Amino acid sequence: MPFIKTFLFIICFGLSFQIQLQIKEERNTTASDVLIEVDSSKAEQFFIEKNWDSTIVYTAKVLTIAKKQNVLDRFHYIRGFSFMKKRLYDEAENEYSHVSKDFSSYYRIIRNLGGIALEQNKYKEAICYFESLRDYPNYKLIKSSVLHDLGLSYFHLAKFKAAEKYLLESNTLQEKEQDTSLLIGSYTDIANLYYEQYKDDLAIPYFEKAYQLSKKIKSFKLKRKTSLNMAVVEENRKDLKKALVYRKEYEKWKDSLNDQSKVWAIAQIEKRHAVDQKQKHIKILKSENEIKVIQRNGFIFSSVILLLFLSAGIYFYDQKNKNNKIILAQKEELDGLNATKDKLFSIISHDLRSSVNVLQKGNTKLLKDIDKQNYTAVKKTVLKNSSIANSTYNLLENLLQWATIQTHKLYFAIESIDLYTVLQQLEYNYKPLFENKSLIFENKIPKAVFVLADLDSLKIIIRNLLDNAIKFSEENDTISIYTYAKNDKQYLVIEDTGIGMSQETKEALLKEGTHLNKKKDQKGIGTGLGIQLCKSMIKKNKGELLIESKEGIGTKMIITLPKSQQYG
Amino acid sequence: MDKINILIIEDTSEDALELKELLEDNNYHVVAIASTYQEALTLFYQLPIDLIIIDVFLNGNPDGITFAETISITPNILKPFVFLTSSKDRQIFERAKLTKPFSFLLKPFNELEVLYAIEMAVEKFHGQLNVFSSEDKDTVVSQEYLFIKKKNALKKVELSSIMYIEVDDRYCHIVTEKEKFIIQISLGKINDVLNNQIFIRTHRKYIVNSNAIEQIVLADNLLLLKGNHKVTFSGKYKDLIKSFHVLK
Repeated sequence: MPFIKTFLFIICFGLSFQIQLQIKEERNTTASDVLIEVDSSKAEQFFIEKNWDSTIVYTAKVLTIAKKQNVLDRFHYIRGFSFMKKRLYDEAENEYSHVSKDFSSYYRIIRNLGGIALEQNKYKEAICYFESLRDYPNYKLIKSSVLHDLGLSYFHLAKFKAAEKYLLESNTLQEKEQDTSLLIGSYTDIANLYYEQYKDDLAIPYFEKAYQLSKKIKSFKLKRKTSLNMAVVEENRKDLKKALVYRKEYEKWKDSLNDQSKVWAIAQIEKRHAVDQKQKHIKILKSENEIKVIQRNGFIFSSVILLLFLSAGIYFYDQKNKNNKIILAQKEELDGLNATKDKLFSIISHDLRSSVNVLQKGNTKLLKDIDKQNYTAVKKTVLKNSSIANSTYNLLENLLQWATIQTHKLYFAIESIDLYTVLQQLEYNYKPLFENKSLIFENKIPKAVFVLADLDSLKIIIRNLLDNAIKFSEENDTISIYTYAKNDKQYLVIEDTGIGMSQETKEALLKEGTHLNKKKDQKGIGTGLGIQLCKSMIKKNKGELLIESKEGIGTKMIITLPKSQQYG
Repeated sequence: MDKINILIIEDTSEDALELKELLEDNNYHVVAIASTYQEALTLFYQLPIDLIIIDVFLNGNPDGITFAETISITPNILKPFVFLTSSKDRQIFERAKLTKPFSFLLKPFNELEVLYAIEMAVEKFHGQLNVFSSEDKDTVVSQEYLFIKKKNALKKVELSSIMYIEVDDRYCHIVTEKEKFIIQISLGKINDVLNNQIFIRTHRKYIVNSNAIEQIVLADNLLLLKGNHKVTFSGKYKDLIKSFHVLK
């Protein structure tokens, strides 16, 4: 009968929970082997989840490695239990046979073996197993179910008295335990027992009891069975109306059961469908995300490139601006220089022309005077001519030096120079000029005064200053040169008692820059080139130019130069 | 005292002659005028020359510098020289500067500038700077000669012709076989520069050319030199004389 088996399984489910607890306890004490640990924990996990197939697989693994007796016992038991659940009773019996009798739950094995025997209709064998259980100390825990099974066994053997005895005993125990579904089964079985013996009067109350109890539970199966039983009973009692009611009820429960299964199946399909839908949705979302990521990356990439272009553009624009500024500044400077140069050229060519013109006229006059044999006039003209030639030469010399300096082609070598010697050499050339203009020249420089300078540029400086002194002096004026040392510097003074200069002129002369000027009231030739040359050459010699002047009294041109350390 | 022998290397004969005239007016002796590099080199090896005045450009090429380079790299023949140039072009100068000792004269020049340039060349060549321009010195000493500034020009005196030197404060009386003159040089300096094997200090005041000694009168602490010159030597320097005797 199907419901008998059902009860057996219900019992087994209940037992499995207890077994799990026991396994957990035993695991703490026995699981020492690390290798076993993983597999055994998995096996137990699957066992708890009632995944019997996996349990069988992992228990097999554990059993091949494990050596301890209690571990072996436990996993043989679990494996056997799993086989039993899979209705592989021979395998289950085989596994149970490997469990030693010391195993703490051995009584359960015997009970399960009894169950298997019962299941296989080996009722006598089952009775033997169940009977032997009585001696085990934990018998009380399973007494009701064992008695029940025992009753069933006798029932199947048609030993109704024994069956009645055990079933009733079991029933009383189960009533105490108050497990409704078990009780329903128990009542049904007792009812069946009486019904089989045609003790309808005894059977019917049990059927009714079972039926009444079944109303309290939700299981459609039990409801269906009890109502079917009631329908059969009423039918046999010829109370067809009632039978029909019970039948209908039975149909209802059956339908409910079917509906439940159908609903379940539909739910399953719906669920699967929903899962599929979700899966598709997820796929779509995934691809959408991928597209988004690609788009985003593209955006980042392109914006980075744009940014780079932009910064490069800004950088180059900035550079261009800077270059433009530099070019502009250079252009202005060049324009200035060009203007200076043009002015210089015009002044110089004008000066040169007039000087040469004067020389030509002088020569013509000379010839005339020679013809007239007027030698005093000749001498005068020659002196005048030589003076003009000299200043023209100085102009050209300055021009040349200036050009050399401007093109940075001047050779420059600073060495220790004796001022006295230099002045002697210069004086040699200037003697006729001084005499020509009746100037008194005094060289007050002592021997052996050494300065650090470039000899030729120093000569050019002094020459220019002397030229100026002569130019701005009247007859019988005095030009004197002297020197003194102060603060590691040698001061060279060229002093004249000439016409002097105004404060503005002095400042204009000392002003930085290569500005050239020709004063309108100035006689003779002059461009300011000489003084500019002096300034740049003094600077190159690491010196300074100072001017002290008073109009009508005279001028002091002062050059400072570094003193030479090698003094003799 | 002898005149200084000068070789002029100059391709413009007018300039060369003018320079020659100028130098001879100042008691220098112009040995020869060369107008090419090759001629200059030949004359330089043939004639006794104390100083060379070199025009940088010979027929448009800087052969003057080449000549200076040639005599600079040949050992033991170098003499003081002065470059003549009309431009201070830096490129040329950078090259010329490599021939040491380096002095130059910028055209156009006057008499004083030429004389000064010659003096500078001699000073630089012998590494005794600022001698001729100072008030208390007038002599540069070389291995063979004394170069002495007399008035505006330099003269030379062969060291081997000196018999003895008498030191008197900042002056030295130089006595040669033929003449006697005074130079301005400190005793310490002349002592440093002279060859100590030949010129021997015999007295606080005397340095004697050992080759000129004819007789030594130890009793009177007297040295008799060639040309009947007599020099005393002091006890302090006796040991030196003795060792000198032993060596002789």
